[in-house]
Amino acid sequence: MNYQISNKAKKVTLGLSAIGLVMVVLGFFHQKDYVYADYVNEHALTIRYNGDASDEMQNDLKIEMNSILNSKGYKVDFHDANHDESHNEGHASHGFEWEAHIESNHEGEHVNHGHHEDISASIVEMIDSGEISFFDTHYRRFWSNLLVNGFFFFGIALGALFYLALHYATESGWGVVLLRIMEGIMSAMPVGIVVLLIVFIAGSLGFHHIYPWMDSDVMDPNSSHFDKLIYGKKAYLNQPFFYLRVVAYFATFFLFMKWFKKKSRQEDNEGGTESHFKMYRRGALFLVFFAVFSSTMAWDFLMSIDTHWFSTLYGWYVFSGIWLSGMVMVMMITLYLRKGGYLPFVKESHIHDVGKWMFALSFLWSYLWFSQFMLIWYSNIPEEVQYYFSRINDYKFIFFGTFVINFVFPMVFLMSRDTKRSAGYLIVIGLIIFIGHWLDVFNLVMPGTLFDQWNFGLLEIGMFLMFLGIFVYTVLKAIGKSPLLQKNHPFLEESKHHEF
Amino acid sequence: MKEIMEEKVIYAMYEDDDVLLNGAKALVAEGVHISDVYSPMPIHGIDPVIGVEPTRLGIAAFLYGLTGTMLAAIGLRYFMITDWPMNIGGKPSFSLLENIPSFIPIFFEFTVLCAAHGMAITYLLRNKTLPGMPPRNPDPRTTDDKFVIEINESENSKHSLKEITAMLKKTGVVEMEEKVIK
Repeated sequence: MNYQISNKAKKVTLGLSAIGLVMVVLGFFHQKDYVYADYVNEHALTIRYNGDASDEMQNDLKIEMNSILNSKGYKVDFHDANHDESHNEGHASHGFEWEAHIESNHEGEHVNHGHHEDISASIVEMIDSGEISFFDTHYRRFWSNLLVNGFFFFGIALGALFYLALHYATESGWGVVLLRIMEGIMSAMPVGIVVLLIVFIAGSLGFHHIYPWMDSDVMDPNSSHFDKLIYGKKAYLNQPFFYLRVVAYFATFFLFMKWFKKKSRQEDNEGGTESHFKMYRRGALFLVFFAVFSSTMAWDFLMSIDTHWFSTLYGWYVFSGIWLSGMVMVMMITLYLRKGGYLPFVKESHIHDVGKWMFALSFLWSYLWFSQFMLIWYSNIPEEVQYYFSRINDYKFIFFGTFVINFVFPMVFLMSRDTKRSAGYLIVIGLIIFIGHWLDVFNLVMPGTLFDQWNFGLLEIGMFLMFLGIFVYTVLKAIGKSPLLQKNHPFLEESKHHEF
Repeated sequence: MKEIMEEKVIYAMYEDDDVLLNGAKALVAEGVHISDVYSPMPIHGIDPVIGVEPTRLGIAAFLYGLTGTMLAAIGLRYFMITDWPMNIGGKPSFSLLENIPSFIPIFFEFTVLCAAHGMAITYLLRNKTLPGMPPRNPDPRTTDDKFVIEINESENSKHSLKEITAMLKKTGVVEMEEKVIK
C-alpha cells in the first residue's frame, strides 16, 4: 500500500505556506517598538522610552505627533524631563522622558465646550495601542515568532519520534499499523532544527536579544549592564557549552530518527526479528537520552529566555506539550490518509486508542501546568513569581485561555467513547488542542522577549500558516517514500486484529 | 397438591473466552437466548452479543464524584474560611474563590475518593456480591479459569433443550450440566 502526495494536497500545503509567507512579509514591516505615556491632565502628558532611539528617530516621532495634533487643531511642546544629564556618565543612552504640553491653536475660540474632547487622553491611548511608536529595528516580533514556530514544529517531530521509540521499547503491539505515519512525522524534524539553529546563531551574532545571557555585557562585572543573577549561572549558561548541548540534542535526535527509519526499511526487505530486537534495544536507549535531553532542551531553548527564573518542573511541562502535539499530528495525518482509503488496516480501535492518548496527555499537561502554577503561586517567592506576574498582567487572556482550551475542551469532548471514534469530533477537537498548544509555546516565549509589547497579527498567523504548510508537506512527502505497512513487523498480526 | 414452577437450566462450560464468544455468537444467530455468562474476567465484546445493556455505573460514578467535589468545597469553606481563617503564606484567607488554587488538590482527591468508593459499593450491592453473601455463580471454577454460559428453558420457546444441547456441543464445550431450579 503506497501513498503518493496528491496534487491537491501539494497545492493546499504549499499554498498555505505561500499565503503565510505573504502575511509574514506584510507583518514584518509593522513591528512596533512602543513608547509609554502617562496621563497628567487634559493638556499635559509624559512620554517615556528606555530603549535605543537616535536623535533623528526621536525628532521624527515628535514631528509625527505634532502633525496628528495639528490636524485636530492643537499644537504641542516637548520638554526633556531628564534635566539632569550627568547620570549618563558618558554612556550614550537613547532613552528619553518628555513632558508634552498641548495647547489649542485657536485661543479664545472656546465655543465648542459642549463636546470637548480630552486630547491628552486620546494621545495616551494612541501611544498605548502602538499607533504612535517607533519601528522596531531589532525585529523582536519576527525573531520571537521564528523561535515559537521553530520549537513547536520541532517538538511535533520529536514527539512522534519519542512515541515511536516508546512503542518499540515497551514492545507494544497495537500501534504497529501507525508506525509508518509516526516515521513520516518525525522525518520533518530538519524543518525545526534548521529554524532553531538560525535563531540561536542569530542570537549569538547579536541580531536579537531573546537570550539575555548571550550578551557579554551582562556577564561582565565591570559593565553597567552586569547582572549578578545571570553571572551566577555562568557555569551552565555560556555559549560554548550551550552550542555543545545544542549539537548533542540535534545530533542525537536526528541520528536516532534516521536510524529507526533505516532499520524499519531493512526489516521490510529482510524479515525476521533481528531488526526488531535491535530497534527494541535502541528504543530503550533513546528513551534514556530523551529523559535527560527533553528537560535540558526545554531549559536551554525556552526557560533561559526568562534567565532569572527557574522551575524544576519546566522540562516535564514542555515535554507533555511536545508529546501531545505529536499525538494530535499523528491523529490528523491518520484520519486524512484513512479518508483517502490508504489505510484499510487502521480500524476504529486504533483511532480510539490515539484519541485516548490525546485525552490522557491533555490531562498530563494540565496537571503539570497547574502543579507548576500552584506551587509558585502558593510559595510566593519574588524571583519565582515574577514569571507569572508578567504573564497574568500582560497576557491574561492567552495565559488562562490556553489552560481552558487545552484542559476543558478535551475533557468535555473526548471523555465519551463515541467521540473518540468519530472523525468529525476528533478533527475539530484536535485542531483546537493543536492551536491551543501553539498558543502555549507562544506563552512560553513572548512574555520573556516582547514583555508587554506583544501583538497578535499578520506576522503571528502568517508564520504559523507558513510553518504548518511546509511541515505537513514534508510529512506527506516522507510518508510517500515507503509502504504504509511495516509488513514484517513481528506484532503486525496483533495490531491488525486490535479490537475492543 | 400445588404445582411448583420448575425451570430447567443448561450450564455450558468453556475453557477459553474466545471460544465462548464465538459459541455465543453462533447460538444467538440461531435464535437462542442466553440469559447470562459467568467469567473470571471481562470478555471484550460479549455484552452486545448476549444483549446486556450498557452499564449505567459511569453515570453513578459521575454523580458520586460531583457529590465529593461539593462536599469538599462546603467543608473547606467552613474549615478554612468561615470557622478559622488561616493565613498561609500571605494568601487571601477570607474568600474561597481567591484561595481556590490551594484547595484544588483536596477537591480532586475527595472527588476521586467519593467516586471510587461509591462505584465499588454500588457495584457490590447491585451484583449482590457484598463480602459474606452466598455466591450466585453456578460453579466455583468460574472465578478461576472457566467460563460458563447459562441458558434458561423458559426463555427459549423456539428450541427444545435437546436442540440447544446439540448446538452447544458443536461450539467447543468442555462440560455441560442441566439443572432444575425451583
